[in-house]
Amino acid sequence: MRNYNTITFDLVDGIGHIILNQPPSNVMNLLFFRELSDLVEKIDGMSTLKALVISGKGRHFSSGAQLDELLSLVGNGESGGKGINNHRLQEFLDRNYRTFLFFENLEIPVISAIRGVCLGSALELALFSHFRFCGEDAVFGLPETTYQLIPGIGGLSRISALAGKAKALELVLRGNTFPAEKALQYHLVDKILPKRMVVPFAVSFARSIMSNYRKGKSVIYLNKITMIHE
Amino acid sequence: MKKVHRHIQWEVSKNIGILGLDNPPGNYLESPECIPVTLLNQLIECEEVKALLVIGTGKHFSGGASREHLISMTQLDDKMIGIMENGKHLLEYIEHLHIPVVAAIKGVCFGGGLEIALACHIRICTSNSLFAFPESNQNIIPGLGGIYRLREQSSFLDTLKMVLGGDMIDAGEALQMKLVDDIVGNDELMGYSLSLLEKMTAGRPLKVIRYVMQALRNSSELSFAEAMKEETRMFCELAREVAGKGMSNEE
Repeated sequence: MRNYNTITFDLVDGIGHIILNQPPSNVMNLLFFRELSDLVEKIDGMSTLKALVISGKGRHFSSGAQLDELLSLVGNGESGGKGINNHRLQEFLDRNYRTFLFFENLEIPVISAIRGVCLGSALELALFSHFRFCGEDAVFGLPETTYQLIPGIGGLSRISALAGKAKALELVLRGNTFPAEKALQYHLVDKILPKRMVVPFAVSFARSIMSNYRKGKSVIYLNKITMIHE
Repeated sequence: MKKVHRHIQWEVSKNIGILGLDNPPGNYLESPECIPVTLLNQLIECEEVKALLVIGTGKHFSGGASREHLISMTQLDDKMIGIMENGKHLLEYIEHLHIPVVAAIKGVCFGGGLEIALACHIRICTSNSLFAFPESNQNIIPGLGGIYRLREQSSFLDTLKMVLGGDMIDAGEALQMKLVDDIVGNDELMGYSLSLLEKMTAGRPLKVIRYVMQALRNSSELSFAEAMKEETRMFCELAREVAGKGMSNEE
């Protein structure tokens, strides 16, 4: 397993731990996206992998994409090669869709364990996982419109599917941050836990469902686990 | 507010267009096309309106079509189909608007009035609001897409109870069946609705608003792959503008 600069990956007892590793903010810069798409290609071939838990190193999940770098993909101001520069950003986004979609389409459970800040593309990544557990301290948001952009990796459709169109409209256009309780209310997360318990719970949850996981039946498992732990 | 059409008031406040249904006391609709689409479109485009609020003047939202108007419409024979289609086109226009539309509901919201509310993107109501499709009690059905749009929000059972059963439901029940998105106190409706629209649109270029609305619509109208392709296209265009490249002239 290659060592990445921005991500750590460990396979322990069948559970793959993907840790966003640029603390404190675990910002999703260009290198991160490149390494993540490389990682998913490796994951595709791992036969002993039974579940994935995604979390951020340190106190936060991730503050989202690095805006300046993103805009640099648009071009460097010279008129030559304008056509080529248009495609760089497009290819970047397309590749990230495929990466995120990979997580969604996986037949094994994919769980995002969210502490602290989870904004923009970070929230989009979490929304492509099958389950989301967060700490009481978690803060969510899709602030793209405050930068005169829109969520670029499926965030709008995902939030709309979970929280309904009206709420999706409000959250995206306002671009406001909102806390764990609201995220639970909007069905964007499945469970709130004390922050120290988020990752351990995600791991034990993964362990308890990974041998019998069939997508679509997972809600039943969630309720069972909730009962055992409360 | 000023009168711009029969039973329609209009005002623009901080780039928010306020459309008032004005036929007191119950704001009955005389025609399915309560305002011509071309006029509404003109009002919105003229003053760079970034959001739309639909509200009833007085104590109610709208009681829908009155029995008299329904009967007089049937006497127009073939023209009736055209009138109903125009009404549908108005609601489709609202539903597909490139700016967010909030229906701010107080008091009675029945029949065609409820159909107008359902075509809006967000529904806020007061705690004293009441909702119903009384059409079945008159042996007809809602004729402006109400059944389709209600089903998009609520369960089969709840839809049937309202449309076939003619049940009248209150604000709490409406919230529970996702017919409305939020309930506010009776005096807070206008303030809350305007504030919500302001927070969503103040300082946002019209293009960003338009693209968010488009992306949201795409999530239910296009396949996922097509929607994502469109989203990428819109994102890139906005990013280019932010990065100061100006409008691309090669599309």
